[in-house]
Amino acid sequence: MDRLYQLLQNRIEGAVATPDELHPALRTNFGNLFHGTPRLVVSPASARDVAQTVAFAREHGLSVSTRGAGHSQSRLAISEGGILLSMTSMRRVLATDRAAPTVDVEAGVVWRDLVRHLAPSELVPPVLTNNLSVTVGGTLAIAGIGVASFKYGTQGDNVRELDVVTGTGETVTCDRKRNADLFWGSLAGLGQAGIITRARLDLRKTKPMTRTYYLLYRDLPSFLEDAKLAMDSGRFDFIESWGSPCPQGLKPVAGRRQPFARWFYPVHLTVEFDHGHPPDDAKLLRGLKPFERLYTDDAPTIDFLERMTPVFDLWKRGGTWRHVHAWIETVLPWERAADVVEAVLPDLPPSILVGGHVLLWPAKGSTSQSRLFMRPPGEHLLGFGVLPAIPARFWETARPMLENLGHLTEALGGKRYLSGYIDWSEDRWRAHFGDQWEPFVALKRRYDPDSILNPGFVPFPAATD
Amino acid sequence: MALDFGTPEWARALADAVNASSEYRNAGATWGVGFNGNLLFAFEAGGALPKSLYLLLRLEGGRSRGAEFVPGPSHPDAGFALRASFPLWREILGGKTLAATAILTGRMKVEGNMVALLKHAGAHRSLIHCVSALDTRFPGS
Repeated sequence: MDRLYQLLQNRIEGAVATPDELHPALRTNFGNLFHGTPRLVVSPASARDVAQTVAFAREHGLSVSTRGAGHSQSRLAISEGGILLSMTSMRRVLATDRAAPTVDVEAGVVWRDLVRHLAPSELVPPVLTNNLSVTVGGTLAIAGIGVASFKYGTQGDNVRELDVVTGTGETVTCDRKRNADLFWGSLAGLGQAGIITRARLDLRKTKPMTRTYYLLYRDLPSFLEDAKLAMDSGRFDFIESWGSPCPQGLKPVAGRRQPFARWFYPVHLTVEFDHGHPPDDAKLLRGLKPFERLYTDDAPTIDFLERMTPVFDLWKRGGTWRHVHAWIETVLPWERAADVVEAVLPDLPPSILVGGHVLLWPAKGSTSQSRLFMRPPGEHLLGFGVLPAIPARFWETARPMLENLGHLTEALGGKRYLSGYIDWSEDRWRAHFGDQWEPFVALKRRYDPDSILNPGFVPFPAATD
Repeated sequence: MALDFGTPEWARALADAVNASSEYRNAGATWGVGFNGNLLFAFEAGGALPKSLYLLLRLEGGRSRGAEFVPGPSHPDAGFALRASFPLWREILGGKTLAATAILTGRMKVEGNMVALLKHAGAHRSLIHCVSALDTRFPGS
């Protein structure tokens, strides 16, 4: 038995486990690309446990890596030889203030559980990710974006207050005024300055029903024109869109035939409504010029929010959930969006999307105040995500194409979303954060002076005294 | 029969190969349409290549209007220039390195509208394939 096991267990109320007790899934994350075996796994019962664990790690020269649902794909949520802090043990919804309206939650709360908890009150967090199986702390540490982000920004933009355990083991309550640097440095901060243990989240009143218009576009310019209109008109509560391949056969690519597709662009525009007061379709869709209006769907709002669950279940049953996920998600400047998408999709084999998809999410830059969620300048932005599920044996074949895609989107002014496949040198990290790089480094040095939190992802330069 | 790299015969054969490629005809259909798509390939001295060579490939709408080795590192007819060491070109033509990777990582220097070039990555990959498929005697081989 590891001698540290009992020492740490004596200090915390939660559970400590050793690698021989480790569930194999904890050795990697959703990406299935990077692996590590932690020395100890801690399931904390409270923020005090988290603080004690960090203090213990400092005393013993160990790192601490945080893990929520483990949906990251790079060197996050895994640990090699350090302490893996499995935050899903802290999953209490603490208090709801219906007047504010806000809710206090522990960081390990799964968004789906929170949505279900709030549903009877007809309250909902303004932004929800497509995958509701991830944790509050996990997505806040990345940014958290979804189909309402064009109105409300990131999930981090809808946080009132945080409790954070810093790399020194101190527990700090922070908000936009108190300890504001730690507040903004924890939102989209990749767990580098501290570990979020509690969040006070904004809520908004919701309506019980949704109506979704399924529109199809056959070319990118008309899709972009209508996406901008849909965002700017303020008529819709949610906008969701994709690139959808229609396979055409095989064509030579560098002399080797591979499947290719004609791409179409489905757009789902959704509004909430009260029972007995359905929306005025003609008014809502005025001015939009889709190639085809395919379908209009009414569903309870809770079902709409969980709309992706059956898709993910299908992927799990089909086995693709266990494949390599090397997602390349980028926020593009609007004026370059068509260039990038049209450069990428014609040569993207449709088969790469078995168990995955190509996302397009129209967004507005002014909706986010986040300092570390990097996005291009400009009001209109387009998120572009190539989200493949790749059998492990094909990873080395697919890797150059996906790495080129990352380079291409960055070269054309895009900013990557950091839960995806990131394996960067310091130069690319610097370029990504731009003028926020030095403040980010300073934040790390202030709050995690021994660099014990979530190592291996961001290559912070060594401090020079 | 293999042709010697750097000769007028090799350049003509390359233009013919481009025009015979249905892959390039499709992938390059919009390259050079409404802008100057002529490419200057600079094979800079290094490895087995003692002296730099410059190939001007005239391209428009999925066709080549001719190819020739030109004397200097620039040419008034070129809309774009791609500059790399000969060993890197051999890696690219041998399929060991993607041209796009070389460009995006800065190993290959680009002169001209980078956005236009990147937008047509498929056309250039197809073009590289035309070059690498040509039966060629390279220096040092």
